[in-house]
Amino acid sequence: MSIKIEKLSYSYTLPSGEKVEALKDITCSIETGDFVGIMGPTGCGKTTFIQLLAGLRSPTGGRIYLDGEDINVRGYDRNRLRRTVGVVFQNPEYQLFAATVEKDVAFGLKYNGLSRSEVTGRVRWALETMGFDFEKVRAQSPLALSGGEKRRVAIAGVIATKPKILIFDEPIAGLDPYGRRNFLQFIRGMNQTGTTVIMVSHNLEALAEYTRHLLVLEQGRLIDSGPTREVFARLQQRNNGAFGQTEAQRIVALLAEGNLALSSAIITYDDLLSALKQELNGGGAG
Amino acid sequence: MKTLPTGQYIPGDSFLHQLEARAKISCLFLLIAAVLGASSFWGYALVLATISTLLLLSGLPIRGAVAPVRRISWFLLIILLMNALFFEGEAVLASWGIFHLSRGGIEQGFRVVGNLVLILILGNLLTMTTLPTQVTTALESLIKPLKLIGVPTEEVAIIISVAIQFIPTLLEETELIKMTQIARGARFESKKLSERAASFLPLVVPIFISSFRRAEELSLAMEARGYRKARNRTKPKKAPLAPADYTALIVCALICLIQLLWRG
Amino acid sequence: MVLVEGKNISFSYDFDDSSFALQGVDIAIEQGEFVVILGCNGSGKSTLVKHFNALLRLQHGELRVAQIDVKNEEEIWLLRRLCGMVFQNPDNQFVSSVVEEDIAFGLENYETPRREIPERVQSALALVEMGGYEKRAPNTLSGGQKQRVALAGVLALEPEIIIFDEATAMLDPGGRQEVAKIMRKLHRAGKTIIAITHYVEEAVAADKVILMAQGRVLASGSPKAILTDLDLMKEAGMLLPLPVRLYYDLRQAGVHLNHCPLTDEELVEEICQLRSKS
Repeated sequence: MSIKIEKLSYSYTLPSGEKVEALKDITCSIETGDFVGIMGPTGCGKTTFIQLLAGLRSPTGGRIYLDGEDINVRGYDRNRLRRTVGVVFQNPEYQLFAATVEKDVAFGLKYNGLSRSEVTGRVRWALETMGFDFEKVRAQSPLALSGGEKRRVAIAGVIATKPKILIFDEPIAGLDPYGRRNFLQFIRGMNQTGTTVIMVSHNLEALAEYTRHLLVLEQGRLIDSGPTREVFARLQQRNNGAFGQTEAQRIVALLAEGNLALSSAIITYDDLLSALKQELNGGGAG
Repeated sequence: MKTLPTGQYIPGDSFLHQLEARAKISCLFLLIAAVLGASSFWGYALVLATISTLLLLSGLPIRGAVAPVRRISWFLLIILLMNALFFEGEAVLASWGIFHLSRGGIEQGFRVVGNLVLILILGNLLTMTTLPTQVTTALESLIKPLKLIGVPTEEVAIIISVAIQFIPTLLEETELIKMTQIARGARFESKKLSERAASFLPLVVPIFISSFRRAEELSLAMEARGYRKARNRTKPKKAPLAPADYTALIVCALICLIQLLWRG
Repeated sequence: MVLVEGKNISFSYDFDDSSFALQGVDIAIEQGEFVVILGCNGSGKSTLVKHFNALLRLQHGELRVAQIDVKNEEEIWLLRRLCGMVFQNPDNQFVSSVVEEDIAFGLENYETPRREIPERVQSALALVEMGGYEKRAPNTLSGGQKQRVALAGVLALEPEIIIFDEATAMLDPGGRQEVAKIMRKLHRAGKTIIAITHYVEEAVAADKVILMAQGRVLASGSPKAILTDLDLMKEAGMLLPLPVRLYYDLRQAGVHLNHCPLTDEELVEEICQLRSKS
């Protein structure tokens, strides 16, 4: 499922008559199976962007093509789109509503034309993927679960339709360190089974470590895009590190001031560690 | 990203902005009475002229001022149909079983919807030109007499203030939850009534839960800042009414009176 | 002077339940200290601080805050004035849709004379660097700005102690920095700051770190003593600060830095020292 975006814009008018351009002239493409990160400060248009991608809003300008088909033309099957593109919103646990976990997870499968046993199979698969014992949890009320469990049930409800494209909006905000790591690894796992993943986050370390491509938004405009490493390197130069610098990059910059020049391609902790090992071991031996 | 909440205060210094909130609320009630009392062509002409004048005086963009009407247009249409079909008036044009389409029914429908629209615009004019806290303070002082019959008026005032502050947040949240469920396959836009009805729970349950959660957190935050029931707080400042306020009150009272006389 | 002194505090949300959110917690916080309480979700840190201003009633143990026994119902209101709190969710702590009226809310609760209110609102807004936002609606502000306004509402009451109950958890990096900056400023001005977080970076600059896990205090001490202790941090489910992690990983690879660094600057210094020696 490749996505092509051409001159995408979205604007609206405030009651005071003021016009707001949430997104302006965005052109980019996302390949099948990619892991794409979207970064930018709050209010840069990230959320609007994914809502447009998922067909939850209609653009005020430009086009979005999914496998060559314009998703905003009349007659495009929106329901098929919903099954193709899954969205895990921030705090997905707030979407739970049904009397049992099983019913909640099955909600998205209602109009899929699946048989009853197929639906159960999917629900089982989704819940097991999210680390639940299906038989144990199926009849429980989702509202009685713990915070973390609720979140996992909610995500099971999204992946149950086996979307080819999965969008995550700030998936790790508010999680503690291990929660963050576990969740990112789950997302990576989904990506490795062939799902195209789009992840919006303001956690630069997570973006640097997990994504392959990056889109950088600022005030509704796409100010940079490309392979993650290249984008981070460019951002470092552009802003002098004010925005879009990982901690590893910050240390590299500080080291450069102390006359130790390391590669500008260092963006993650592991990059930094191996560069330092080489540098310092080499120095020690000599 | 947001569909903007309607009825939110828009800063300005128009004539309407400057009126004292107590005067504005009293005028609102007088004008609502005038709208409800209108029965003739001239009666409606008068209230229409009054509201148009107010819109001009408010200096607000017309689109924003009438936005709440657009927002509930569906609901209005249903009210119109209900009235048109169930009202047992003369001059029946057609009937199907229990439904009767009559001239009287159509008129009645238009009158009810017309009244609702006008009242909505009036209310919206108040909230768009008055700081919510001024509304609260004014309401508090206007309902003061109720204290005599045991109504905790200060607490009612705080409840109103908090409710007003939460409206935009809740609207935004409703929008988000709606999107979340649509993304999961809910069919709010479906033409089939059954599918739309089935989408009702996924929307309402999360909104309820979230409202309770928010209310709980807010009550903690209020307590942490020293709020306690049935305890004295600093009294709100009361601005004296200005001549403009009295003028507005008199004009509105006159409009109301004329309306009632015409109804006669 | 000890401002917060707690002994053997235990707490359970559910009386029938034997699971405790807090188990035998001892705590001491000095006046003017900047204390970070660190721990993962469910470690009990939020439950603990909600005892400080008596939002949760003490079930077992003893606790005195600013010389007030938290069990003394008569003095709870004084306690809450002296011990302000900013909450996690920026959206759920405003009572008014106008910034200045919201800040006045606390003052009104304490029957501050009407004529003094505008001035105190102004100076509180100035402290959080939000002057000029008096008439704005909180819901039109950014996350960091909302938290600063919420903080102004607390500061207007001139508290001794300010508690940040995961006040940065829902903010983006920019918003976190805004709030952190004001925290440091208040600390310099002599306020006692208690910040709860699971961002280990926010603990580095504290005077004292209290590490919590499963309703207990695992350890408390200087950031250096706590944050560089591999086993302790692992037990608490915390990741190490990047410089510390790097120190240990380099050691494993046979590279020995002289001291374990805590900040990026210290790390760079250690590395440069090592290089100049060789």
